[in-house]
Formats: sequence, C-alpha cells, structure tokens
Amino acid sequence: MLPSRQFKILQRLIKAGKGLTITDLGSTLGVRESDLMRDLAELESKSLVRLERTVSYSVKLSELGFKYLEVGLPEERLLKYIQARNGAVPLSSVLTELDFNDDEVKAALGQLRKHGLVVLESGLIKLVKEDLGGFPSEVLETKELMKKHELPVIYKDVPKQVMLLKRRRIVDLSEVKEIKVYPTQQLPRLIDEGRIVEGELITNLTSEVLISGSWKTATIKEFDLNVDVPTRTPRLRHPYVQFMKYVEEILIEMGFEEVKGPYLESSLWNFDALFVPQYHPARKETDVYFVENVNLTVNEVDVLERAGRIHEDVWGYHWRVETARLPVLRTHTTPVSMRTIYERGAGEYRVFSFDRVFRPDTPDPTHLMEFHQLEGIIVGRGVTFKELLGFFKELASRLGMKEVRFKPAYFPFTEPSVEGFVKHPRLGWIEVFPGGMFRPEVTSSVALPAMYKVAAWGIGIDRLAMIVLGVDDIRDLYSNDLEVIESIRIPEVMVRNAQD
Amino acid sequence: MPKIEVKIWDVERIAGIPLTVEDLKKSLELLKAEVEEVRGDSIVYEASHDRPDLFSAEGLGRAIGFLKGARKPVKYVVGDSGAYLDISNAPSYRPYAFFSIIENLELDEESVRQIFQLQEKLHLTHCGDRELAAIGLYDLDKIKLPVRYVKVETAKYRPLGYENMMSLEEVLAKTDKGVKYAHLVRKGQYPLLVDSEGQVMGFPPILNPEDNKVTEDTRRIVIDITGTEPRLMMKVLNLITTSVSERSRNPVIKSVVIRGGSTYPVSPSLESRQVKVERGSVKSLLGLDPLAKGDSNLLELMGYNVQRFDSKELVVEVPSFRIDVLSYVDVIEDIAIAYGYNELGSEISPSPHFGRLDTLDRFADYLREVLLGLGLQEVLNFMLTDPDVLTLVSDENFVKVRNPKMKMYSAVRNSLVPTLLISVLVNSAKRRFFEIFEIGDVVKLSDDAYPTYAKMLAYGLVGDKYTLTDGLIVLKSLMKVFGVKYDLRRVSKKALIAGRSAEVLVKEEVIGLVGEVDPAILTNLGIYVPTTIAEINVSKLFSTSSP
Repeated sequence: MLPSRQFKILQRLIKAGKGLTITDLGSTLGVRESDLMRDLAELESKSLVRLERTVSYSVKLSELGFKYLEVGLPEERLLKYIQARNGAVPLSSVLTELDFNDDEVKAALGQLRKHGLVVLESGLIKLVKEDLGGFPSEVLETKELMKKHELPVIYKDVPKQVMLLKRRRIVDLSEVKEIKVYPTQQLPRLIDEGRIVEGELITNLTSEVLISGSWKTATIKEFDLNVDVPTRTPRLRHPYVQFMKYVEEILIEMGFEEVKGPYLESSLWNFDALFVPQYHPARKETDVYFVENVNLTVNEVDVLERAGRIHEDVWGYHWRVETARLPVLRTHTTPVSMRTIYERGAGEYRVFSFDRVFRPDTPDPTHLMEFHQLEGIIVGRGVTFKELLGFFKELASRLGMKEVRFKPAYFPFTEPSVEGFVKHPRLGWIEVFPGGMFRPEVTSSVALPAMYKVAAWGIGIDRLAMIVLGVDDIRDLYSNDLEVIESIRIPEVMVRNAQD
Repeated sequence: MPKIEVKIWDVERIAGIPLTVEDLKKSLELLKAEVEEVRGDSIVYEASHDRPDLFSAEGLGRAIGFLKGARKPVKYVVGDSGAYLDISNAPSYRPYAFFSIIENLELDEESVRQIFQLQEKLHLTHCGDRELAAIGLYDLDKIKLPVRYVKVETAKYRPLGYENMMSLEEVLAKTDKGVKYAHLVRKGQYPLLVDSEGQVMGFPPILNPEDNKVTEDTRRIVIDITGTEPRLMMKVLNLITTSVSERSRNPVIKSVVIRGGSTYPVSPSLESRQVKVERGSVKSLLGLDPLAKGDSNLLELMGYNVQRFDSKELVVEVPSFRIDVLSYVDVIEDIAIAYGYNELGSEISPSPHFGRLDTLDRFADYLREVLLGLGLQEVLNFMLTDPDVLTLVSDENFVKVRNPKMKMYSAVRNSLVPTLLISVLVNSAKRRFFEIFEIGDVVKLSDDAYPTYAKMLAYGLVGDKYTLTDGLIVLKSLMKVFGVKYDLRRVSKKALIAGRSAEVLVKEEVIGLVGEVDPAILTNLGIYVPTTIAEINVSKLFSTSSP
C-alpha cells in the first residue's frame, strides 16, 4: 500500500517506459520538485525506483555572441579593415576605429596569424598573403557553430570547439544537475501482481478513520507551515493581579504572613500613633482624603491616650483628640502594621500587607489618587537596621535586581530611616525601598515592650509594577479596557525565577 | 519637602572650606537632602522636613563644615540685653511671644536673601503656615526697647512694601499677606508689637512695617515669634537665631525677659540638650556598633559635642538648632549616617514562622481561576468612583470624600456593579460582545454611617446573544466547582429588570444577585448592548459555604 502520490509516480514511470527527470515528473503530476524528493527517497529505499544523479552543461550564445553574429567576428572585421587600407594599418587605429577592446584585438590577431595572414611590425599590422587559405571557411564554421547555440544546448561532455567559444566569451556555460528516475526491474512485476496499490489521502483525521483503520494505508496530508494562522486570546489574571501574586509569593517564601486592615482609618491610626504631629503638612487637605459622612468609632482608647501624651511630651504642642478622631481614607498601609503590633503584641513575627491606599491627586501617566502599597514589618528582640537592609537586598534580588544602594531618609515614624535604590538597566538608579526602625515613640503608642524592635518598610509598589510589566502609564495598571489588558505580556522576570 | 536655593560660594564661606559641586551633592545626600538642580553658582535642593536647620545656606554651611571636619561643634553664649517683652495684654487666641537679639552682624544681599528664605520655609512647614507660629525679623536700631505684645482694636503703620500708612483693617483688606492670613486674627483683638515710644513694631502674623525692615545695612537684628505653641515656637526661634548668628564673625546673641505669664521667663534658650545613649543600644538597633573602635569622631562630624564616651554609655550635647533630635535613636541614626549606610553591611535571618497568604484572598483566587476557566476576562477598577453612578445603580449609602480633586473619584464604591458597568461602557464601544469579571473590595455604609468592608465578585456578559440564562449558567458552574447549594429568589433591584433578576441565597442568607441590567440604566450610562450581570459577596460565600 502506497501513498497516493507515490503510487502515481510509479504509474507514470511504467507508462513512460524510460527514465524520467524530476522536472518531467513534477510537471506531469503537478507537484513541486522539492515536495517530490521525499517521495522519491522513500520509493528508492523500497527498491521500487532507481535514481541516477547526473551533471550536464547547458551552453547558450552570450550577448557578445549574438552581437558577433550581427556585425561579424573581430578577425573578419580586422581583415576587411586592413584590406581596405592597402594591407597595412597602425595597431592603435584598430582600437579606435573598430572600437575593439584589448581581448578582441588579441583574438582577431591570433586568428589571422594562425593562418599566417598578417605580421605585426613596429606598431603596424601588415597583410603578408594574398591567398586567404583556410581562413574564410573556418570563420564560416565558427558562425555555424554559434548559430546552433542560439537556444541552449545540453552537453554531457562539452566539445573542444565549444570550449574555444566559451574562452572567447561567445557562449555562456552553466552546470545542470539532474536526477533521473528509472523503474527498477522488479517494479512492473510487482504492479502486475497487484502487490502495490494506491492508498487514500487524508486531510484531517476523524474518529471514523481511526476506528476503521484506514489511516494505516492512507497518506495524511502534509501541512504547509507557511500558511499563517490566527491567535486565540487566553483568559488570564489581570496583569496587575499577576504581579501581585508574584510579589506575594516572594514574601511568603521569605516567611511573611499577609495581614489586612480597614480602608477607612481614624487619623489616630493613620498619623498620631505613628508620631506624625497634627501640624505636619502630610496631614493637610492637599495630602489626605477626608470623608464627610462616616461615623468611625475609635475603640482603642489606650492608644489614643498614649499617642496624645507622647505628642504633648515629645513634640510639645497642644494635641487635640478631635483631630485624632477624624476619619480619613488611609494614606498608607502602615496603620495595618501598627494594628498588627497592637493585636499581637510582643513576639517574633513578620507580616506584610499589599493593598490600596489613597492620596489626593489628579490621575496622569505618573500619578494616581488610589494606588497600592507593599508594607511590612519584622518584629522581634534581635531585629536590627542591618537586617532591614538585608531584607531589601533579598527582595530586590528576588525581583531580578541585583544592585542595591542605601541613602539616609526621613519618615516621621522611623529612626534610623533609609531609602533603598536599585539599579535598572535602562532607567539607572531608582528609588524603591523606603523603610526604617519604628521609633520608640511609635512602638510605645501601641504598648510594644521596649526590648522588641520593629523593622518597617512601605513600598510604593506601583512604580515597580510599571517597570516589571513594562507599562509606561500608571493608569494602565488598573485598566478595565480589554485591549490594554490583552496587550500586556507576562514579563520574563515573573516567568523565570529571578534567583536563577 | 521644601526646595532651597543657595549660592555655592556662600555655603563655602560658612562651611569654612572650598567645595566642589560633587562635595556638595555627597554632603547633601548624608543630610537627607536631594539636589534638584545646579545653576551656575547656585544649587537647588529639596531639604528633608525634619531638618529645618538646613532650610538656608547658614545651616547647610554649618552642617557641611562639621561633616568635612572644617568646623567644630558650636556652643552658644547668650548675653542679657536688659530689655523685656511684655505679653500680659496679649490676645488670648495667640497668647505667646518671644524675642531674641543678634548683634555685630555683617550682612550682604545674599545673606539677607537666605535669612528670608529660612523665615518663609519655616512658616510653610513647622509654623503651620503661620497658624501655630509666625516669625518676624527687624532692624533693632529702628526700635526702642522694651516692647509690648498686645491686642488692639486699631492702629496705623506703613506696611512692608507700601508707601502709605494703613490701618490694620486696611492691611488685612488691601495687602496680599493681609488677605491671605486675615483668618488668623480676630477683629477688635488684633495682635500688635508696640515699642516703648508707641511705634508699631509689627503686626504678627500678617505683615511688618516698612520702616524697621532688615537690609544689608542692618547690624543688629531682633527676631520675634508669636503664636499658640510655646515649645514649638521656642525651637523655631532658637533655630533661626543660631542661623542668623552665622552672619557674623563674632556674633553677640542677647536674650530678652518675657514678662506677663510665659512658660519661658527668658528667650531664646540656646542651651544644648544632653542625650544619653547606652552603648549596647547602638549595636542592638543597628546590628553593628560603628563606635566599637572607640572613635567618637563620627559624632563630631554630625555636630555633636561628646560629653562622655565609655564602654557603658555615650552622652552628647545636641545643639539647639537640631530640633529633629528627640531621643537616643536620632543620635544613633546620625552615627550610622556618619559611618555610611552602605558600609553597615546587611544580613537576614530566617523567619521564625512560615509564610501565609490571607485566607479570603486565597479563596478569592480560586474563584478567579474558575471564572478565567469559564472564559471570562478579569478587569480592575478604582475603589474611588463617581457618586452619580453609585446613586444611579442603587439607593444604598456610600462614603463620600470631603475634599475630592475630581468628581469622578469622589465616592468610595459600595458595590462592584457600578464599576463593572463602567468597564462595560469602556469596552462596548470596541467589541460587540465580551465576558468580564472583577474581584475587589467595597465599603458599605450603614444607615447610621458606620462602615463595613466586603470582598465582592462581579461578572458581566455583554452582547446581543446574552440573557439571564447565561448569567445563571456561569453562576451554576461556579457554585458547582465549590459544591455550594444555593437558591434563587425573585427580586426587585434598581439596577435590574424586574422579572429578569434574582437574589442568590446560601443557607437562607442572601450572598448575591444576578439579572439583566435595566435598559434605562444602560442607556443612561451610554451603553447600547444588552448586559447581564451578577454580584457575589465573596466574604459571605466563604463563610456560608464552609461545612
């Protein structure tokens, strides 16, 4: 059982009763030669055909040759020229008057001298014989030979005279590789005995084909890889959600527990407990969204009392409890960390929060009024500033950024405070990791015993999200536009483990 | 963060050392300031809010002088001026006032500019835009001490920058500063500084007179600070006094007695404070003790006089202009800065416990996976949204922002339905049909205005081919995955077509709704494609569906 096309090749060969070239086969079967080769190789391996590879030469009159047929060969023209000028002309005039090139002069002189017709003496070509002998008939023969090559002639061996023409560039020669296909001796017999039959061609497999077993004899149609296909749109997590998941995984690998806190906070938790004085510019209407119709009970009366006392004692101003009770949309997630310490108290733990915060702003490509913060604390007796620096380095490295630098910074609730910078291949040093050690005034407002220390950090993570996701407009991070969502690729650093 | 502009040559003459731009940049980094721009011989930097002593060239030059070892920590000596300031008849709403005097000054155009820059930046930051404290500087030679700080009904003087005499009311009505700060004073009780000859010395916190202003020719300056917060005022007065004193080779600082019931009998108060640092706390806070080799030079680089330095404790004198230094941790930070943050090294110890994702977030991610598997695309929206869309869709209460920048972000969503419809609007112009969902948090507000939070899931099937049937198919498929039994109950909701919508109940509790959106609402929003939506309370689904 043979695939249909292979069977047709064999039929064709038998019918022709002689060897066929691939070109012949291809044109009669309507198949490209390149496609035929695989079939032929298979047939040869089954000893059904024999392939004979030959090299021959195609010879065709060149442009120069066509010109000589029209105006005459250089030797003819030179002879006529000398004859017309009493048998002697200066060599130089040949070049100019007849417009020969050097090669043509050489060839013409050579031909005439071969027949002993001319000599070259002190720059003059002289005709030395009246009788032209065999020269005219040779010219005639050459021209006849040239005419024969007006259409290409195929030679297995190229005759000597033709090679001479080639040397004079009267003809062009090119190599022709050819494969000839012959039936093997056993082939006619095998076909007669019906031992070779044609199978069907299958474009698409169907279960019917599989069940019937007809696939065994069929040829499954070859697929043309040049045909373009459409894409399908996979339904994936929103790119920002993918990024969140990626970062959260990193923190969980580093042993952090996720914590949550309320979006609406009293100013107590958002500012006062964090030692931000009530007159601090960060508490102004330009920097905080206040809400107008919310009742927010401050249940943590002890925190309120302690924070107030600390502000009065350390900052030394008249602290107002009403200001501390004002509800706001949280401007950072640090209150979440503070509430965690308040609830868990003394102990060794590390928690993180990845959530939304709000600050008055008008959205543009680099600003939003609502964005995410990645916040965390490491609490314990042996926790140090150096450990915070170590955490930043580890986090940066897991995000695929190896170089980290630290600068002194100021945040009202941490001391020492630091700003970590990472080196980005395109953007240079970028500011990404703010943090520090919670001040004693801060930890004592939530009654954490003095021997416990807190390394805290709060990263404006959207900047990193933009870099990682390759998004230039921060608003696209929160897109509800399917075109935007579908256009964002899953970044390399998220797919591979950045640690590798 | 205030932006400060100084001349490099001016900083050099105060620091007492030549400086390159590179030097300045490095020093500014250690002082938590960030260089914004270098313009010829000027440098503009953003100073850190906690270092108001760096709000002008005087303090910056002094700090760089310390850092470069060109200057030694300063001790201020305060003489007695013999004068007093009487505050017994001060306005009760701005009851405090202090003075300080600096003599023997050598001013030029740049130093006058710097002193006023310092005054302006202090006003904007630590003085609460003059509400808590207001500073004035005057040419002492134009004033006859002693001075009274009093409340008056009216007075006349020639305000700074004006040619004519004006009454206090006119100053408030006609001058820029008057208009800007009028809310800080009360009619009939205007705060006024009056000298011993009855001349108006100043009208704090509004505008001072033209006649006693500080110029390049001024040799003696008197500074006043008035306001409501005496401790803060004293810190600010000390700071500006020490900065002005940098404008003299031999500054003479004099104090003034405050009469009439002040918390401070004399001002300024430039005595340095002592801060004690237990040696062990340096290492336990930083993880390394930069002073371990016994070298206290790091402290002098940051401007501290070292009083005691032994194996147990360290006592430093904090100069009065370092109002940011509140306790030992601030001194330890300065030690770390002088040592170099990048020299401290880093370490990370293993977590004492395993990591853990928030339980509800984890559950929500499974819901997300199922909806993605069903072929819906996830979208996101802001929690802040347009109050009009919220009221269009539901009558339920929601949180309003008191000081929004844009109306379209002036309310906090109480449901995902409004933001889902906004997503539908965005995409319906570009696609004939689509299936989307969102998982996110909402803030619900009870009738008595107490907030509660919930994680919600909403999906929308948008296009001519969708009906409630499709909405119910997604619901059923979702619930099947989690093995949750639920009931449907006909419901009437503002957003949905009556008769083509239902509540979803699990164990008799309503956890969501599903339905076709009312055409009136769709078209009101500008959506002209049929839309079937559902909203599920993820928090409730999680708790009710647990066995």
